[in-house]
Amino acid sequence: MQLGFLVDLHLCMGCKGCEIACKVENEVPLSTWRLRVKYVDVGTFPETKRTFTPLRCNHCANAPCERICPVSALHYIDNGIVNIDKERCIGCAGCVMACPYGAIYIDPQTQTADKCTYCAHRIASSMMPACVVACPVQANIFGDLDDKTSNISKYIMENQGDVQVRKPEKGTDPHHFYVGGGNVTLNPLASFRAEGHSLFNELKHLPIGGHH
Amino acid sequence: MVHTALEATNAVVTLDVALPGIVWGWIITMNMWAKSIGTGVIFLLFYLLKKYPDAAENLRFPVTVVSLVFIHIFLFFTVIDLHQMFRFWHIFFHPHWTSAITVGAWIVTIMVLVLFGMAFASFIKKDNKLFDKLLGWAVVLAVPVTLYTAAIMAESTARELWQMPTEAVQMLLAATLAGSATMILLGEKLPYEAKRDLGIVLGMSALIAFIVYMSELVFGPMKAEEVMATLEFVKGDGEYATMFWIGQTMAFIAPMVLVWLSVANKSVSLLKLAAILALAGLWITKHVWLVIPQLLNMS
Ligand code: SF4
Ligand code: SF4
Repeated sequence: MQLGFLVDLHLCMGCKGCEIACKVENEVPLSTWRLRVKYVDVGTFPETKRTFTPLRCNHCANAPCERICPVSALHYIDNGIVNIDKERCIGCAGCVMACPYGAIYIDPQTQTADKCTYCAHRIASSMMPACVVACPVQANIFGDLDDKTSNISKYIMENQGDVQVRKPEKGTDPHHFYVGGGNVTLNPLASFRAEGHSLFNELKHLPIGGHH
Repeated sequence: MVHTALEATNAVVTLDVALPGIVWGWIITMNMWAKSIGTGVIFLLFYLLKKYPDAAENLRFPVTVVSLVFIHIFLFFTVIDLHQMFRFWHIFFHPHWTSAITVGAWIVTIMVLVLFGMAFASFIKKDNKLFDKLLGWAVVLAVPVTLYTAAIMAESTARELWQMPTEAVQMLLAATLAGSATMILLGEKLPYEAKRDLGIVLGMSALIAFIVYMSELVFGPMKAEEVMATLEFVKGDGEYATMFWIGQTMAFIAPMVLVWLSVANKSVSLLKLAAILALAGLWITKHVWLVIPQLLNMS
């Protein structure tokens, strides 16, 4: 079994339901995130368009975070998920430096690394990840990539040519795909970004582990 | 490269989380700097004992102590940077061998034991033969101890700027630069020829390191857009441009010139000035190179 995610960006409407569901389900502390929806506006008025991109851990087949972790706190589980054992983590932040997608944070409460686990605890109880359940338009498609009859496999087959991963040049082999993505949505260098830009707060930088 | 399309798309991030701050900061810089001294003096002690056995005779114990002190400074800063420092022992009981952090921690532990053995051989047993045997092992171990930080940087897949083997070369040069500089300051009683040799090692290390940094600065951006974006921080009016050039000047340019002048004039005081500048400049150079890739947004 190889669990994977696919987000159809044609469907996502940026409601952030998944983001909130993830926060609540995993009790993700303030100033940190496992899943977020990033808005990028494209074009010049009146020819403008707003894009929405949910971003989470890709559960890479060749995960740099797992490779660099000195104590195997980051490890693969049988269903392909890159999981984390917070009791074992020593907080070296090697994984934070290694993940090309900025998917890992140091939890300010436990002072250990944490990230999206595809809700491994829910999957163990045969439930879908919280973000999948919350999405009102079913933009998040989750399932077994090894099973040709699964929704995600079928979706990939049907959308061949429009299926992308982030930063393929890094050789991480992500198990997280996007349909309808492009440079602007998937490449962070393809958009202007005022430092710490955020509509809802004045936070300039995310504090690492709760202290600057 | 995407920046060429940016003007056309006018893509602007309008809602997102804040950017992460610096994860590995000055504590890791201290770590790399102290380690360069701790391993570098071992390389240079080995050289001096081979080339000037009589003159370097009395350096055995003091250099071992300097190495031990700086390796412990390095270990101290390594441990205090951990967010869960009291779990450090997990590295020994749950080692994950694909991680350069694990491999390095084990090798440096063995090296510390060898260094204590050298201190014992020179101070208590007064056995130079045993010392020199252990020194051979210390030199062999100092190579991976110096290199493993480069391996950690190479395993940091997110940071395109840190490439192998460039970082490995820079780490070795940092060790020979810092080691020769420290030995120049320590070896007051060495004959002029030995000091000149140390000066030449310092000058050559500075020259090669400078060439490698400049090559990365000029040619790195031609290969990868992330490198281009990262190096913008040290170019023009970039946030770290001033610090970068201060570091390059103090660590490499000034020592090269001073070593050349000192050899031409047989001046030891110029060598000492070169050594002090190189040690201070190395810290600044390492810090800039450590921090700039962390300023880039990853997602
Ligand atoms: S996206 Fe990052 S955190 Fe997730 S598996 Fe890949 S390297 Fe690890
Ligand atoms: S911070 Fe924790 S999970 Fe990340 S590499 Fe270090 S020990 Fe592993």
